[in-house]
Amino acid sequence: MVQQANHALPVAFQLDEYRIEHQLSLGGFSIVYVATDSQGTQVAIKEYLPNTLALRGEGGISPIITEEHLPAFRYGMKCFFEEGRALAGLSHPNVIRVLNFFRANDTVYMVMEYEHGCTLQELIQTNRPGVTENFIRNVFTKMLNGLREVHSHRLLHLDLKPSNIYMRNKHVPVLIDFGAARQTLACDTPMLKPMYTPGFASPEHYNQRELLGPWSDIYSVGASMYACIAASTPQPADARLDKDHLPPAMVRWEGLYSDQLLETIDWCLCLNHRYRPQSVFALQKALTEPVVAAPKMISEPDVEQPLLKENWFDQMVGKLKKSRNQ
Amino acid sequence: MKFTIYQESRTGKRANNEDRLAHCYSRDSLLMVIADGMGGHYYGEVAAQIAVQTLTQAFQREFQTRIRDPFMFLQKEMLNAHRGILDFAGKHHLLDSPRTTCVACIIQNNIAYWAHSGDSRLYLLRKGKVLAQTRDHSRVRLLLDKGTITVEEAATHPDRNKIYGCLGGQQNPEIEFSRKMTLEAADVLVLCTDGAWNELPDDVLAAALKTTNLSAAVPTLLSQAEGRSGPHADNLSMIAVRWEDTYVDRSSGSSSLISTKSMPRDTVATQMDEFGRKPGHKTELTEAEIELAIEEIRSTIQKYSK
Repeated sequence: MVQQANHALPVAFQLDEYRIEHQLSLGGFSIVYVATDSQGTQVAIKEYLPNTLALRGEGGISPIITEEHLPAFRYGMKCFFEEGRALAGLSHPNVIRVLNFFRANDTVYMVMEYEHGCTLQELIQTNRPGVTENFIRNVFTKMLNGLREVHSHRLLHLDLKPSNIYMRNKHVPVLIDFGAARQTLACDTPMLKPMYTPGFASPEHYNQRELLGPWSDIYSVGASMYACIAASTPQPADARLDKDHLPPAMVRWEGLYSDQLLETIDWCLCLNHRYRPQSVFALQKALTEPVVAAPKMISEPDVEQPLLKENWFDQMVGKLKKSRNQ
Repeated sequence: MKFTIYQESRTGKRANNEDRLAHCYSRDSLLMVIADGMGGHYYGEVAAQIAVQTLTQAFQREFQTRIRDPFMFLQKEMLNAHRGILDFAGKHHLLDSPRTTCVACIIQNNIAYWAHSGDSRLYLLRKGKVLAQTRDHSRVRLLLDKGTITVEEAATHPDRNKIYGCLGGQQNPEIEFSRKMTLEAADVLVLCTDGAWNELPDDVLAAALKTTNLSAAVPTLLSQAEGRSGPHADNLSMIAVRWEDTYVDRSSGSSSLISTKSMPRDTVATQMDEFGRKPGHKTELTEAEIELAIEEIRSTIQKYSK
């Protein structure tokens, strides 16, 4: 099948009660626009338009869907509804709000709130020095409030990554793009490949989808924290299963961030899903735990190193004791 | 009776499987039936389902030790299925009646009896060769018989999908009966739809089914046929039964061998796939379902925005 790029709806196009301003993003499954409603409020509109099944040529409005692709197109629509359903029932400051859902141009549209800001991905790329210990703890603890809400509705996000965390006013993290979200009990689609992003997807994403659970999203959170610090995507989980080249955060950034934070990241990135934090709550607890030792600066490694090692050892012992007492 | 049996149906590359198949057996009789609902006609799958259900239900009703006249049974029930399909069309005010092919076979007292309408086939294989087979009720088959076209031409003939005998439809169905065929141990009977036989030459089919392991051979054959039919593969279905010597009390070592000797007299075992599209493979959303989903999402949004 030839992959074709779909053309976006033209600027100023009147779509239902909304007026298209510009295209925000273009994915394989959908196009997102910024539009204004009748009150002049800006909204984001996501248009269901899988480019392998429906084609909109230049200047076209309704996509062309061949007879052959219609069943698959309709089937994919189910996933889009799933996303709508997932989001419609969630009302949380750290989860994107859905405002409307409608049918037009032979396809379906989801209207979401739109506020100025940028994705976490853009933020960490443009502001490297800003990625401090506090920044990471702060952003992820808040974001996890949203994820907790998602999980409490028996939903999994399944595509968590820095580019799916929107920083509202560059400040408040909001979970976006629930395109991969699934009711934990709903079965998978046979015709559309499950969506995930290599590097952020857990090992279960690849071949053991029956094992997907909160711990799978937690792997992605760990990978996102890792990516924030590394400024690059971690080694994909399937490759790690084959040969693990991912240096533990603890080894890579020792001394730059607190051991406790680095350990937490490594904890989330365990390949065995049972060894990871099993709930968002457990992870949040680890992220908000008071840090025992202040992070050491790397400028004086010779002097500080022995002390640091000792601290690390103390912490390990402390942890072991704690776990024994439980 | 002793036999091994295996049945499988695949959707191919179509959106929907309109083939239906079933087999059932009591202590003394075995019934197998395949129906291929005709595409292009609405509710082809319903017609196929009616055909398979009518025959299996009648078998379950009339199995009392054995069916008195198997040919009579096949004729009566295939006509009943035909009328059932017309009733369905009438009840739902369909402009045109749905149609289906049908091939059914009864084995009892070591004798096989079969009947068919349309282009779903039955082959009787003995020692790796085709001993008997049904003749398709198709235009292409007629042309072949007259010598107007060759076998090669038939394979690509534009009218190769046109069939004249079928259940449902305006005319009374053409139902063709076999002779009584006495089975020998290791004989194999194969029922299949055109999606399967189109891509499987007789000799390939016969050679592949010489084995005792039907549960491996049939899926392999279907995969072969599906692979060869490319991106537009039709639905493919096959039932294969390997007959074993009834009167020799010797286990052939195959664990899948069914022996009906120990069955209570008043039971019938039936294997029929459930009606309707398998929920896990459901491909299409109807207009109504789309409207319903949107309505549901909207009302949830309303509920939470207050």
